[in-house]
Amino acid sequence: MSAYILPLLFVFIFVYAHFKKVNCYDTFIKGAKKSIPLVVDIFPYITAIMIAVALLRSSGITAILADLTAPIFNLLGIPTELIELVLLRPFTGSGSYALLNDVLLTYGADSYISRCACVILGCSETIFYVTTIYMSQTKVKKLLYAIPVALVCSTVGSILACLLCRIM
Amino acid sequence: MMIASICFLLWSDPGSVLSQMLDASAQSLQLAIQLCAVYAVWLGILELVEASGLSEKLARLLRPFIKKVFAVKDPVTEKLIAMNISANMLGLGNASTPLAIKAMKQMDTGSPVASTPMIMLIVINATSIQLLPSTVIGLRQTAGSTSPADIILPTLLTTICTTILAIMLVKLCAKIFERRKKN
Repeated sequence: MSAYILPLLFVFIFVYAHFKKVNCYDTFIKGAKKSIPLVVDIFPYITAIMIAVALLRSSGITAILADLTAPIFNLLGIPTELIELVLLRPFTGSGSYALLNDVLLTYGADSYISRCACVILGCSETIFYVTTIYMSQTKVKKLLYAIPVALVCSTVGSILACLLCRIM
Repeated sequence: MMIASICFLLWSDPGSVLSQMLDASAQSLQLAIQLCAVYAVWLGILELVEASGLSEKLARLLRPFIKKVFAVKDPVTEKLIAMNISANMLGLGNASTPLAIKAMKQMDTGSPVASTPMIMLIVINATSIQLLPSTVIGLRQTAGSTSPADIILPTLLTTICTTILAIMLVKLCAKIFERRKKN
């Protein structure tokens, strides 16, 4: 069933665009062209995060941290393997994609762990980064309860993600 | 963080530091190339979505919902918020950010304290309902998944729940803060 969603969606988009007299080929090319500058932009961040994570792992610090926090995460139903991802997600977008890829390759793309990781990433946001950028053009200094509420919601999202992946 | 782990390694295995760093860097280059391929496909498709007016249509559908949740008076702000949320739903992160910045600027009154609609926009963006987690699907496909799209449904359900929770929590906190101001 879900295998049909994307192809059908693509067909719909192309047909709809065609009827709206949009030049499909040129428009597609225009969009695809943006991928290279985008990747050039995020590449240094991915590298920095991956180096940091590699060093953290080989030094054993993450293992200690994971051991310490494992009881809390297990209580919430979040697998121990995903602790790094959940903790890093609010800070770095490209970095968490690097971690997701690592999870996908280590545990296999169709494993329970990987599916959880995918849903967690899909339903969360780099809260700290996004908030800074959004407020950059205003005079607002005090955000009151914005960040705590956002963090609570994305934590609930992670818990729900792991639960739903178990059922579905 | 990096310095701490290098120090840790100096004590346990100093020879491995540089090789670890270079390995990670090589892996990141590989990931960047994979991401580039994923982005090329999705950005191409999403450009079509934008050019054909589909994203604007979605934004129009969202207007009544936004009127209710945000309670902003200004129609320009309302439209910006609608476009921001619809871009987010389609996974158009790059298109949604400038819209949110503009909306925030519109709502800025010069006061140093964020207003409730501003906070609502931040929180809703943080949980954002995802119709198409495009990058995630792409990476999953590249990693050899047999049905990379089967995360769409759980992602959608999770984000719907967290968005509802987010709206309720913001409304609740707003009420508490108002009461405290009066006292």
